[in-house]
Amino acid sequence: MSLIEINDLKVHYPIRSGFWNRITYSVKAVDGISFNIEAGETYGLVGESGSGKSTTGKSVVGLEKITSGSIMYKGKDITKKSNRKELDYNHDVQMIFQDSLSSLNPRKRIEDIIAEPLRNFEKLDANEEKLRVLQLLDIVGLDADALYKYPHQFSGGQRQRIGVARAVATNPKLIIADEPVSALDLSVQAQVLNFMKKIQREFGISYLFISHDLGVVRHMCNNIAIMNRGRLVEIGTRDDIYNHPLHIYTKRLLAAIPETNVNHRQEHREQRLEVEKIYQEQQDKYYDKDGKAYPLVQISPTHSVALPEDLVEKIKHEGEVKA
Amino acid sequence: MEENLNKHSDISAADLERLSKEAQDEATPSSSKIIWSEFKADKPAMVALILVVTFILFVMIASLFINTPKMMETDIMNYNATPGSNGFLLGADTGGRPILQQLIVGARNSIGIAIGLTLISSTFGICWGLISGYFNGYIDWGMQRVYDFMMMLPMTMMIIVLVTIIKSYNAVTLTFIFSIFYWEGTSRLIRSRTLSESEKDYVAASKTSGTGSFKIIFREIMPNISSLIIVDTTLSFAENIGVETGLSYLGFGLPIQTPSLGTLIANANDPNNITQYWWTWLPAALLIIILCLSISYIGQVVRRAADASQRHGISD
Repeated sequence: MSLIEINDLKVHYPIRSGFWNRITYSVKAVDGISFNIEAGETYGLVGESGSGKSTTGKSVVGLEKITSGSIMYKGKDITKKSNRKELDYNHDVQMIFQDSLSSLNPRKRIEDIIAEPLRNFEKLDANEEKLRVLQLLDIVGLDADALYKYPHQFSGGQRQRIGVARAVATNPKLIIADEPVSALDLSVQAQVLNFMKKIQREFGISYLFISHDLGVVRHMCNNIAIMNRGRLVEIGTRDDIYNHPLHIYTKRLLAAIPETNVNHRQEHREQRLEVEKIYQEQQDKYYDKDGKAYPLVQISPTHSVALPEDLVEKIKHEGEVKA
Repeated sequence: MEENLNKHSDISAADLERLSKEAQDEATPSSSKIIWSEFKADKPAMVALILVVTFILFVMIASLFINTPKMMETDIMNYNATPGSNGFLLGADTGGRPILQQLIVGARNSIGIAIGLTLISSTFGICWGLISGYFNGYIDWGMQRVYDFMMMLPMTMMIIVLVTIIKSYNAVTLTFIFSIFYWEGTSRLIRSRTLSESEKDYVAASKTSGTGSFKIIFREIMPNISSLIIVDTTLSFAENIGVETGLSYLGFGLPIQTPSLGTLIANANDPNNITQYWWTWLPAALLIIILCLSISYIGQVVRRAADASQRHGISD
């Protein structure tokens, strides 16, 4: 059984207008997505800005009011507040935020920030609690003298590690990492990512890793879901997505990864332009008449993609020919 | 979890004392220390602080030794006595009542009302704004309609009517009457900041950490808008001295037998007093100006202390 099962999750934001302030339109931030997260794995959720990936993450951690669908954890639908309370859900599911500065309360000392989940979920006496906080700081590579300082006294990377320490404080089973490194420079990104990996190994945590950076996702994730316009367009293992992308949007995202090899600069540029041209020409084929992605169709046991029937047939046929 | 942590961290219970001492040495100074150093860095504010504190203490204590009913008896023999004559240090008014003693008792009454009014109305306004802004939705809607209704009432007129209806009122009831009307501005101000503050990530982080709504409101959001609260409270304190004074000046504040800064300034209603008997109203007017200025100086320092980027004193 999967750790978390997300079924047909929808989050729509109503837009009110007019004299009576009635709902005239709704923004479909997340529009019917389903996927499962297994224990101990890192699940990557990739997409451009506004594709609904952060909304999905917030729904899973219980911060967003969902419109319909269900998120099952331990056999209970945790989109209901009563179920979350009963399970002590946030003891097991925590979140790392994108902006490390705004996610740490500027008026609280580091000790109080990291101890916050401990105080709410575990009853410890003052010394045990302090010891726990010191150990957590040690694990994320910070000294004990950080204890009584304020968030603004730390660098971006240190702050994000404090965020990681807070998220792992209660030893959760799943951590939602909402673009945890996109606000950091490259050297610090690697540092934080490696801490996250180390913690995963040591504590057996699953991550839902939300990012738009395909390089980082490749480094971190075993399974990846590509999201576009509130729907999933492709789900697969790392190999499926990076080596056999099927949906045009995935191909376009992959083409956008910057290439550092200067010798082939011209070729890469041409390849990118080629992909972009195909995208502009064939866009209609890959989305239905409302501009939404098609339902996912399974291509192989691990690989699903949102394509219309005729294209799926073609791909399956080609696959057989190649095989 | 504990075993897990012990396995992966070198720190054990034995190190606790040493490490917490190390942390203590490196600790960022506490907020009271920061405020004090801020006062030391700003000399005029320091003077203002000493002035306000000693003045309030002096007034509170000295007024205990003054027999107010006796002081307020009319004494025709000393009609508008000049300062320094007959033992009247600051002279006497048209009733022959000593200005100095009236000033002391009056300042106590006015400041007492201002403090009480600020405490009650600011506390209520802050709570109202925080709760309304944080919960949003129907709660916010309902609370804001109550606010709109209160704003609609003509404040001064309502106070005058209430003061006329209530037969026997004193400083305490007057404070409560004022408090009904003076929380509104604060509450709107606080609400608007709370609306933006509760969208920030640290509030979301507290929610996922399992902290309850009211704890988030008063322990997480409130400290973060403290500079706004401090500025608003000090400004409204300075303003509230004026509220009672203004109403007493119009004759609807404290009863005539109770002196206040307002009744003293009301002496200036008489053109004769303004030109010839200046000592009947000038000391009270000066006192109000000095008090309000000093309080806003103090407020500025506290605001700077609450915001690390504006500090003049020690930084952290």
